[in-house]
Amino acid sequence: MVRQQPLTLATPVIPSAYNNLDTVLKQIRSGLDNGVQQSFQNVDTIHYLRLVLLEAQPPDESGNSYPAKFVLGTDYDGDEDAQLTALATTCGDFIDKLYENCEGYPDAANRNPATRKAYLEKWRVKASAFFAGAPGRTLVQIRKENELREYILNLIRNGKWGSQSAKEIHAAIKTDVLSKTEFQWARESVKLPKENWLGMALLGLILLVLLPFIIIWILVIHFLYERKDKALGLTSSQIDGAHIRKLEEYEDFHNQNQFTQLLIMKPGQIRLITLMGLMLFAKSLVKNLFVKGKLMGIPTIHFARWLLMDDQKRMLFFSNFDGSWQQYLGDFIDKSGWGLTGIWSNTVNFPPTRFLFTGGAYDEEHFLAWSRYYQIPTAVWYCAYPNLSIKNVMNNTYIRNELMLNTTEAEAQRFLNRF
Amino acid sequence: MEKLEEADIQGYIVRGYKHMMYSRYVMLHVTDAAAAKTFLKDISGSITNVTHFPKSNCLNIAFTAQGLRALGMNEENLSNFRREFYEGMTTPHRQRILADYDSSAPEKWRWGGPNNEEAHILLMVFGADEATAINYYKQLEQQFLAAGLKNVFELDGQTLPFNKEHFGFRDGISQPLIKGSDRKGPEQDYVNAGEFIMGYKNEYNVFPDTPILTKDQGNMSDLPYDPMGTGKKDIGRNGSYMVMRQLQEDVDGYWTFMNEKTKNDDGSMNVQESVKLASKMMGRWPSGAPLSLYPDADPAGDNKEVDYYTAYFTYQDSDKEGLKCPFGSHIRRTNPRDAFEDNGVEKSFKLTRRHRIIRRARLYGQPFAGSPTNHKPETEVGLMFTCFNADIGRQFEFISYTWANYPKFLQLYNDPDPVSGIREVCPPGTEQTFTIPAKPVNKYITGMKSFVTVRGGAYFFFPSITTINYLTTI
Repeated sequence: MVRQQPLTLATPVIPSAYNNLDTVLKQIRSGLDNGVQQSFQNVDTIHYLRLVLLEAQPPDESGNSYPAKFVLGTDYDGDEDAQLTALATTCGDFIDKLYENCEGYPDAANRNPATRKAYLEKWRVKASAFFAGAPGRTLVQIRKENELREYILNLIRNGKWGSQSAKEIHAAIKTDVLSKTEFQWARESVKLPKENWLGMALLGLILLVLLPFIIIWILVIHFLYERKDKALGLTSSQIDGAHIRKLEEYEDFHNQNQFTQLLIMKPGQIRLITLMGLMLFAKSLVKNLFVKGKLMGIPTIHFARWLLMDDQKRMLFFSNFDGSWQQYLGDFIDKSGWGLTGIWSNTVNFPPTRFLFTGGAYDEEHFLAWSRYYQIPTAVWYCAYPNLSIKNVMNNTYIRNELMLNTTEAEAQRFLNRF
Repeated sequence: MEKLEEADIQGYIVRGYKHMMYSRYVMLHVTDAAAAKTFLKDISGSITNVTHFPKSNCLNIAFTAQGLRALGMNEENLSNFRREFYEGMTTPHRQRILADYDSSAPEKWRWGGPNNEEAHILLMVFGADEATAINYYKQLEQQFLAAGLKNVFELDGQTLPFNKEHFGFRDGISQPLIKGSDRKGPEQDYVNAGEFIMGYKNEYNVFPDTPILTKDQGNMSDLPYDPMGTGKKDIGRNGSYMVMRQLQEDVDGYWTFMNEKTKNDDGSMNVQESVKLASKMMGRWPSGAPLSLYPDADPAGDNKEVDYYTAYFTYQDSDKEGLKCPFGSHIRRTNPRDAFEDNGVEKSFKLTRRHRIIRRARLYGQPFAGSPTNHKPETEVGLMFTCFNADIGRQFEFISYTWANYPKFLQLYNDPDPVSGIREVCPPGTEQTFTIPAKPVNKYITGMKSFVTVRGGAYFFFPSITTINYLTTI
């Protein structure tokens, strides 16, 4: 199974070139909006690409300041080295026009795939946790499986099925598809990840053993930290409307959307360790449990990542999801408010929490306002399959696999109702 | 349970004024703020609240953001309203959310759009019959004209027998019921007051965002304090946000489409199948009987049992696979009841309650209920869709975008709501279909067409009686 992975590069921007980079980003965005092919679209391993400009931040209350940074993120198939090579080779022009505005990029005379790659490698930031909605599905596979689904849908729609049973119809479709040279790949079924209950049991056991320690930890957080925490305390109407309008400018054009949040960690090692612990926990859940298109019950997320940067003082969160912001954030509260609260309450100004996992996101009005407050504009966003929801992606793979089965009547019926 | 402050709440949120068969909605433009406020003071005692049960007339009032500005509300205070209301229905982003494209584009609206004179104050005048309503309206008209208020748009509304709308389907059934009010209905439909009325807890058990006064203005002494504890005066309490959209219905196009898609092999009309297709799209038969309980034919008529089951039905026990009521049908997607995605029954009801609206549609144009054989009304017909909610983004806009307009709803690929979500011009590279789950193969209605055109719309603030009085002092 080919793995999907997150690539994140965070690069300091030359202060005097910030505006130029901003202009370049706007050009790329308008190019994409108007259907101008970009070189990275030729890389057939990139599911999503996003470019974000982080403004320079003057010193905050704790005296931390941050220079302007440029962040490139992709969700890709295969290994990181190949992804970097593809960016440095296939997308040389694209990389050059972006990174020539960043610190230390090779001079025009010294730009080649090798120097580009060496440069990009320097700025990698490792994700603390990563979620893929349809693990193992490569971009090429997603595209092929959708073609297969469309082909079969047409067969079903145009067929004269008379009184044939589901099993007979399934068999007829199978024969037709397998007679086509372009669908020979469908003969091979793909192995899909399953929940690993043994792994979950092990995780449960570990948590059980650690329980006394975890309880003490949460009590310490509650009595020594949470009670002193400050919250943003604003509702949506009290947030700068211009900020939200700017975010909305890039939302709801397609059936998918993106979410980029830049958060500041609460000071102190205990918060950092809490977050790291929760990231570890999230990672094992993603690996063992959330392998069928849902992240903590949320059925609309294609990819999501959390990462720490700037000496672990700031957290960046990216996600690509189906539907609107309102649905997405609402789902977070409705389905995984506790998990969300556990992770995000380690960042400043989160709505007041009690015992790490309660309060917080469940304070709907303040949570939604907080969420928009820390969301930042994504400068450029690209999705290789804007017309497929994560449920569509999953369903298409089931179709491919079920096509090859020697089905019972019930299985054939389930197959046919997938269209 | 919180007790509603009924005398302070305008009646139309809680009651549908079923016996007020005729209504006139008039949008007024303020030309003289002082005179307009005097007019408001004059009529404030006549506004119908929840404790009133008038026999002949009702009067309610609502304001757009421009209207509050025209009355002189301080801009900072105005910006404390929910952003959807403050920015209005026609921003580019909201146009995408509501899919107001092509003939429905705000530029082409008759009111509420960028090319229309601003609507400031909406008077909703109701009467037991046409003459009573118009008589009452004439009295008010003298007053508002004298106060420099200009009539920029008016629309008369009616209620048809059995509450039918023009396509021929019963409307306005299975409404959410406000906890703490005297309305009766299924347990699952009782929704915390804060989903509709500010100042009460919502379905997240928190107080909904409410407009507070951050700048002192007017006589604030009678205003309550914000329940969130900011220490500021609250003008939202006992008020609501009201969404209004004028929707023209193409009854002829609608039934011609249904007839065409279901005609017999010899080309003749199949009335029964035509009604069935339209009902599959609606999720109910013309009588209002839900398909998930009556899958084969309309039990029809003024039948007490059918009446009861228009609200009391669920999906998980009777129709899990959508074989009776398609997943993509209008009522199944806009009120998923006990089948919210793949959640269990209790969780589904709980989540569904976070996305409810109280609907109050009134018909305009010739009183006409269409059918396969009778679908050519003599005038333009449509309805004035009206709904109440405390969070426009999480309620009305969510239902519109995530449930109705979104073609990827549940496991679907290209199926927007067949009644209210079809785009006039299909987005490039896609198609618009309606999938009817069936065995052995689903049925697909392709080339779906839109039969509803938006002719106007706005978000209104529907204030409490206290706030109406306050507005006369700003």
